[in-house]
Amino acid sequence: MSSDLSLGSVVKSEWIKFRTVRSTVTGVFVMFALTIGLGALIAWATRSHWNSMTQVEQVTFDPVSESLIGIVLSQFAVGVIGTLFITNEYASGSIRTTLAAVPNRMKLVSGKLVVIIASMFVVTEAACFGAFFVGQSIFSGAVPTASISSGGVLRAVFFAGLYLTLLSVLSVALGFIFRHTATCIGFFVTVLMILPLITLAIPESWRVHITKFEPSELGNAMTSVITPSGDLNAWSSLVTLVIYVVVVLAIGATLFQRRDA
Amino acid sequence: MIKIEHLTKRYGTTLAVDDLDFEVRPGVITGFLGPNGSGKSTTMRVILGLHHPTKGRATVKGQNYAELRAPLHEVGALLDAKAIHPGRTARNHLRALAASNKIPLARVDKVLGFVGIDSVANKKVGNFSLGMSQRLGIAGALLGDPAVLLFDEPVNGLDPEGIRWIREFFRSLANEGRTVFVSSHLMSEMAVTADQIIVIGRGKLITQGSIDSLTATAKGTVFVRASDHPKLITALKAQNGTVSEANDEALSVSDLTSDQIGQIAFDADVVLYELTPQRASLEDVFMDLTADSVEYGSSGVRNEQ
Repeated sequence: MSSDLSLGSVVKSEWIKFRTVRSTVTGVFVMFALTIGLGALIAWATRSHWNSMTQVEQVTFDPVSESLIGIVLSQFAVGVIGTLFITNEYASGSIRTTLAAVPNRMKLVSGKLVVIIASMFVVTEAACFGAFFVGQSIFSGAVPTASISSGGVLRAVFFAGLYLTLLSVLSVALGFIFRHTATCIGFFVTVLMILPLITLAIPESWRVHITKFEPSELGNAMTSVITPSGDLNAWSSLVTLVIYVVVVLAIGATLFQRRDA
Repeated sequence: MIKIEHLTKRYGTTLAVDDLDFEVRPGVITGFLGPNGSGKSTTMRVILGLHHPTKGRATVKGQNYAELRAPLHEVGALLDAKAIHPGRTARNHLRALAASNKIPLARVDKVLGFVGIDSVANKKVGNFSLGMSQRLGIAGALLGDPAVLLFDEPVNGLDPEGIRWIREFFRSLANEGRTVFVSSHLMSEMAVTADQIIVIGRGKLITQGSIDSLTATAKGTVFVRASDHPKLITALKAQNGTVSEANDEALSVSDLTSDQIGQIAFDADVVLYELTPQRASLEDVFMDLTADSVEYGSSGVRNEQ
């Protein structure tokens, strides 16, 4: 009856745990609603006000980023899903039951990562492509639209899903570091929302060198067809965000390995 | 088989476990006793690899817990019955546990039936009473059919029927040759449940042995009523007896057997009305052993004897 603990069995176990709590199901629903719903709402507002928009607004109008505007909010739903995946276990104390079954902590971290990356990749890509096509169908006939086959459009939409997936991994890493839901969410919101506001207070000559490295700005560059002025290009932004996530994850995994559970 | 070797665990400046050394053998129920805060849970957590020892080690079948190839097949543990996500159903909780160690799904339903909660298997754990949670925790410990079982305060929250059930259940596990290690802060519970007892206080080993050997070491007293107490006391003291409690009604005598006391009374021409040996209860033994190591004692309540 004896058999080694395999990564596959840990993934299976974590997948059962991930999908059998309401917070995950609710979180995914909210993520879809915000990504597609908010995008559709803004698209509809643009369409109905197109004729009263200024010429500058009409010329700089980007139908791709406009349809993906929902991720500005849905990124927080993703953060909550990832955080709770870890902090739920600490809040209930079930982390001890989990570790008694899977004492190899790096295997447990790996299993949780496989589950969060695979599941979040699927749902966030579905939501981002959904938001894109819903947005374009609303624009269609009244406002300039973008085709998925145009240069850079497919990449921008695909990277929007990647951005959200990377943020879910970041929130898992924060969960391992802080172990408390409120602390993790607070940190997550600070980095993505408060940090950009703080940097606004910095003199512009410095700010231009800092802003482009902020996670939210990396996301903006990743999801734009034409790189916004002052930003890193989409691929450099992706690489930078991946580096951030890997560093935070390494800290989280190291602390998890060392600490008493 | 569990082996604790010179185990020390320190949290910051708090010494939770202090050079603990003992073995838990298969085929018997071993009670792990100590007042609250004496280091029982810490020791169990170290055994399960959850907490890292400061010094020394804890092994199961000669291995560190983290090195076990399929932990749930080797060791089953119930640490905290309420430590389950409240929104998950009992069955899903066990399914996730089973999947991690490649335990077939059929086993989940089998253990649910065994502990008698199959009727609520698809209910959320958050609505469970403590007693039901304990049964679910026991089901989890049994999943991998392990040879070593650890239970931290398993009787808490159980009703009398549940307590009797759990005693018989521990007995059957031990009779199957398994190692059964049960912690409790209630001596009276362990007296009827365990064969072997390990007593700790403030993280230190106080004593260990069989229940019988423990009570044997305890000083018994003899309850005496006689016609002339002052005269009898003088005679008893002359024979190295100790009179620990004396009033008009009765005497409590130790360091002498009832036979000796009878003879002394006869020689001193004192008529005995009553001569009753009083065996120290395990509770008394436990209280005496751990009196110095209770973290939050209520000194006023206990009568000094």
